[in-house]
Amino acid sequence: MTAQIELTEVNKHYGAYHALKNINLSIAKGSFVALVGPSGCGKSTLLRSLAGLEKITAGRLTIAGDEMTSVPPRKRDIAMVFQSYALYPHMTVEENLVYPLRMRGVSKTEARARAQDVAGFTGLSGLLTRYPRQLSGGQRQRVAMGRAVIRSPKAFLFDEPLSNLDAALRVSMRKEIRALHDRLGATSVYVTHDQIEAMTMADHVVVMKDGVIEQQGAPLTLYDRPENRFVAGFIGSPAMNFVAAHGIDSASIALDLPGRPQIAVSRHGEAPLKAGQAVVAGLRPEHLRIVEGEGAGQTGIGRFTLPVRLIESTGSLTYLSLGETGEIALVEHGREQLRPGDRLTLSIDPALVHLFDPQTGRRV
Amino acid sequence: MKSIFSSLRDGRGFDVSLVAFPMAFLFLLSGLPLVYNIVMSLQEVDMFSLGTFARPFVGLKNYATLFSQPETWPILKNTALFVTASIAGQFLIGFGLALFFWNEFPGASWLRGLFLVSWVMPGLVVGAIWNWILSGDFGVLNYVLRSAGLISGNIFWRSDPAFALWAVILANIWLGISFNMILLSVGLSSIPKDLFEAAELDGAGAFARFFTITLPMMRATIGAVVSLGLIFTLQQFDLFAAITSGGPNNASNVAQYWAWDLSFRQYDFAQGATISVIMIVFVMIASVIYVRSTRQEVRG
Ligand SMILES: Nc1ncnc2c1ncn2[C@@H]1O[C@H](COP(=O)(O)OP(=O)(O)O)[C@@H](O)[C@H]1O
Ligand SMILES: [Mg+2]
Repeated sequence: MTAQIELTEVNKHYGAYHALKNINLSIAKGSFVALVGPSGCGKSTLLRSLAGLEKITAGRLTIAGDEMTSVPPRKRDIAMVFQSYALYPHMTVEENLVYPLRMRGVSKTEARARAQDVAGFTGLSGLLTRYPRQLSGGQRQRVAMGRAVIRSPKAFLFDEPLSNLDAALRVSMRKEIRALHDRLGATSVYVTHDQIEAMTMADHVVVMKDGVIEQQGAPLTLYDRPENRFVAGFIGSPAMNFVAAHGIDSASIALDLPGRPQIAVSRHGEAPLKAGQAVVAGLRPEHLRIVEGEGAGQTGIGRFTLPVRLIESTGSLTYLSLGETGEIALVEHGREQLRPGDRLTLSIDPALVHLFDPQTGRRV
Repeated sequence: MKSIFSSLRDGRGFDVSLVAFPMAFLFLLSGLPLVYNIVMSLQEVDMFSLGTFARPFVGLKNYATLFSQPETWPILKNTALFVTASIAGQFLIGFGLALFFWNEFPGASWLRGLFLVSWVMPGLVVGAIWNWILSGDFGVLNYVLRSAGLISGNIFWRSDPAFALWAVILANIWLGISFNMILLSVGLSSIPKDLFEAAELDGAGAFARFFTITLPMMRATIGAVVSLGLIFTLQQFDLFAAITSGGPNNASNVAQYWAWDLSFRQYDFAQGATISVIMIVFVMIASVIYVRSTRQEVRG
């Protein structure tokens, strides 16, 4: 796999504000990469730097092996789908679709034939003579995609393309975008603040915060082995529980919960845990198990008991808030015959306990 | 009485009164004078019949008289030239400046604000300033043109029949630039920036972007600016009064100044009204274009 887009030590300053800090990123040809992070972390800035809409202040960018650091946007051969769609309001759907071809000197007849073709597989066939203002949000979204795919650019860039759609449409468009990507064998970079979108659509997820890449890798790698507390809390829904703890020996910790329960942890190549070492334990809500039958109600090695504060059920899943202030979240399949105030005994698989340094937030 | 008040409050009567007040205002202050003017152009009016409304109707005689006068066609030609040249100059320079200030550079909005100075100045003051600039003996314009080697002798802008109208046009262009620039600037800044970014990624260069995005998106604004410019230019009176008084020998006379001159200096009210009616027709056409262009506004 060759790198289609390569960023080396890329930095971007807006005046005194340092928006991108030493970004190193290699995007393989044919891959679907998601840039994800909270609002304001620099995702759009990074995407716009790839497109050439922002000038990077330091570092190097190559696309398909060619130096692109200071090449103007129209010579980069990249297509972008904007959050606002940026459809040309004074042009019909067809005129919008053929615009990129006409600007590149493709003949009118050939461009129209391509537009017919693209309209066919993006579901716009009956809409070619309409103006953008006569389309629904989902249809506009399709026109924006059609305009991007009508030529075969070196990469597709998406900046939160689904954020203006309703929830149901968002889920179906997610699949459509991914299917389109696979069909075209394209290279795509997809910006979103929604980690579910990133996890479900991408082959490679890049988590950003404050202009820094916190971690990148395959979606499940980020879930299974977050390198720091930020990524651990950002990936996964509902968010991971963090509980202060300290080491007992190399294979167990004591949680800062009533009764100081001790739980076993297993280490996979991390540095050995020291007795008394302060750590933060990360416990995913979906990994906490409710202990029933024998052993229920007892706090001891491997289990701890917490009161139930709040019960929310969606029918298929039950969300519980546990602890004195409801600070511990738990997700269970099915329904629970529980009432606030009941006490629950929990356990967790040692392999699923994540440990972080309380100061640096790094995985220990 | 009670029901009137309650209907005011419950909404329906309120709507009607909101519309009724401005309509009454418009009718009294614009509609009636307009009709009066049209009626007057069909009557025989002199100093003695001015106070009454019962004047002899003469049909289209005033129009016939008007077009049989030797100065009529040259003055209408002057008017056409004044309007076209003024609007062309105001629009092109105004659009150029609007595009220039659109590139956000340090101090851009501050400098743009300075241009408003010409807009708040009364036409008579502008006229006085241009009188100095255009002055034949010591005017700045002659000095600049001479220094640049464009002319050898002084041009007597205000008294040379070949230049008098152009002197007023020059001043009027200067007066109208800021209005054009501000309105066009507003139009430009209301075009979403991402359209230009999308076009750039779609492969459009600066010229292609101007002709395929900027101009079509500005259609409504341009229509409005040009038709308002037409209306303002047809109303421009102060500059003629201040700079040339329509002279020499009508060389810089235009319809609006002539109408005033006929009515209030020669007391030929019927002729003055007749010219006004002809101008109303043109203003009406401009107004229709204006209303249509704002109605067809394209916004995504
Ligand atoms: N043109 C600009 N001038 C100054 N600061 C900017 C500009 N564009 C973005 N920023 C700042 O850079 C940071 C990252 O912005 P952005 O990339 O848009 O974030 P997001 O991850 O939400 O897409 C934000 O703090 C924003 O305020
Ligand atoms: Mg953004």
